[in-house]
Amino acid sequence: MTLPLGVTFEAFTDFGFWTSVGILAGTYVLFTLGLQLNVGYTGIVNFGQAGFMAIGAYAMGVLVVKADWSFWLALPTAVFIAIGFGLLVGLPSLRLRADYFAIATIAAAEIVRITALNLRDVTGGNQGLFGFDDSWNNLADQIESWLVSLGWSDPEQLFPLFLVVWVTALIATVLLNFATKSPWGRVLRAVREDEDAARALGKNTLAYKLQSLAIASTLGALAGFFVAINLNFLTPEAFLPAFTFIGYAVLVLGGLASYWGVAAGAIVMWTILEGTRFIDLPISAEREAAVRFMIVGLVLILLMAFRPQGMFGKKEEMVLGD
Amino acid sequence: MTDGAVAETIPEAPPAGDGQPILAIDGLLKHFGGIAAVNGAAFDVERNSVTALIGPNGAGKTTLFNVITGFYRAERGSVLFQDQQIVRRPPHVVARLGMVRTFQITKALAKMPVIDNMMLAAPAQPGERLYNLVLRPAATRAREREVRERAEELLEVFQLGKLADEYAGVLSGGQRKLLEFARALMTEPTMLLLDEPMAGINPTLGGRLLEHMQRLRSERGMTFLFIEHDMEVVMGHSDKVIVMAEGRVIAQGAPDEVRRDQRVIDAYLGGGAAIGSEPPR
Repeated sequence: MTLPLGVTFEAFTDFGFWTSVGILAGTYVLFTLGLQLNVGYTGIVNFGQAGFMAIGAYAMGVLVVKADWSFWLALPTAVFIAIGFGLLVGLPSLRLRADYFAIATIAAAEIVRITALNLRDVTGGNQGLFGFDDSWNNLADQIESWLVSLGWSDPEQLFPLFLVVWVTALIATVLLNFATKSPWGRVLRAVREDEDAARALGKNTLAYKLQSLAIASTLGALAGFFVAINLNFLTPEAFLPAFTFIGYAVLVLGGLASYWGVAAGAIVMWTILEGTRFIDLPISAEREAAVRFMIVGLVLILLMAFRPQGMFGKKEEMVLGD
Repeated sequence: MTDGAVAETIPEAPPAGDGQPILAIDGLLKHFGGIAAVNGAAFDVERNSVTALIGPNGAGKTTLFNVITGFYRAERGSVLFQDQQIVRRPPHVVARLGMVRTFQITKALAKMPVIDNMMLAAPAQPGERLYNLVLRPAATRAREREVRERAEELLEVFQLGKLADEYAGVLSGGQRKLLEFARALMTEPTMLLLDEPMAGINPTLGGRLLEHMQRLRSERGMTFLFIEHDMEVVMGHSDKVIVMAEGRVIAQGAPDEVRRDQRVIDAYLGGGAAIGSEPPR
């Protein structure tokens, strides 16, 4: 059996490679920040984040393409639709035990995806939904000419998206940090550890869990916008449950109960996932894709064994595995 | 003295010992499967009193606490707190009305620092609403300062001051009990329901807790209802004792009366010696 034959490192010096990795990582930062708020700080196990992302993305796409809305008006509306959906899922199911809630959310997410797949007149089904990103392209052109005026002669085509994704992700990280360190966040952490203790002290815990879920829905919707823009079209395949699970891998990698860990985890995860594309094995492309995920799995196993709190998590505040 | 400073931050107490019930429960019923854990329990708790709730294991004392404070929904019956019907109200509403409970198995939040446990409990923190973080940041900060100061004072009283910044997970069982008591006081309650507050605390700190309880009663007009197995504590520190067995109240009265009550002796000790002659350890 022969082991890796040709591993080329050219890609790692290629700016274009890092731009596209950066876009994926930044999108996942937004996506996973929602999971961090839910799982890491509120103790609610949300397995439906891909569904909130799908609702946001499709609401935006359908409003623009089918209802002829302005892109800029469709964005906030789609966020509100995602929040509404989050509350709809959360209101009956957050009263359940954590594991039932997890099942309810993954079911809700699959309902969204399968509806998108079959509601072809509205969503385009697996043919995809196109043509929602004209306004974005105009903005990207403006950013590009701005970059040129700054003295960058030939900016990377995707760089404006990279820029906007990361600015959004950083703003979200800072805001969540601020909110979680506040008295509001203190109640969330109490709910995370012992809901009855919080209730005995006069806190309306259901309201806090719903707020946490609503914010996660918002972040999911934002991630959905960027997925849509990055792909130039919308397909149900982009919102498979696997998306949520990679989000969880990012969460564990970066560390629970740390927002900056989410950013670090997403960067590391996507560097590994995309970087391993360049490992040249004498096997079919399909198998090579599988090998990439095996490497991710191995990294996670090693992490659990040697650093269960992840890169930035606090051991004292570990919420899983004790 | 630190205790004095704590008392100053709280508004003046209502006139003490007027004989009016602050809590009146009647006909409460709560089943688990076919078993009636609380089976028509009825009693009054006088305002500004220290009342002990005793009874053999399985008498329904903790279940009763859970029903009164809204953690369990009563199937029937009435709970009047300060003349307000609170039966089947959710726990956080009951707590905000001023009746706050502690737990038999402590619920100190181990993954939060001790000081955060305390500050969490304070009422009227505008910053617990997300929009106020933007709309009223100054009020939020001011209240945080106020609350932190009070929390630190209370921690000193219970000799937890040095542990303020430690995660509550490092505390001993007894320290957790004290933290839970102190935390309940942070809510500025009118009435405290304590589920075995003395269990696992060393006698010195236990004495301090009892002393503090009496002080809060006399200085601030607070009312206490507590479940306790230590008969020395029950007989020595309560104005009234309520005895439960099999989900019902079988006797109530002054400690001395209850101690000699034949029904109590039968239910509690299965006959034999009078209660309190030999406190269980």
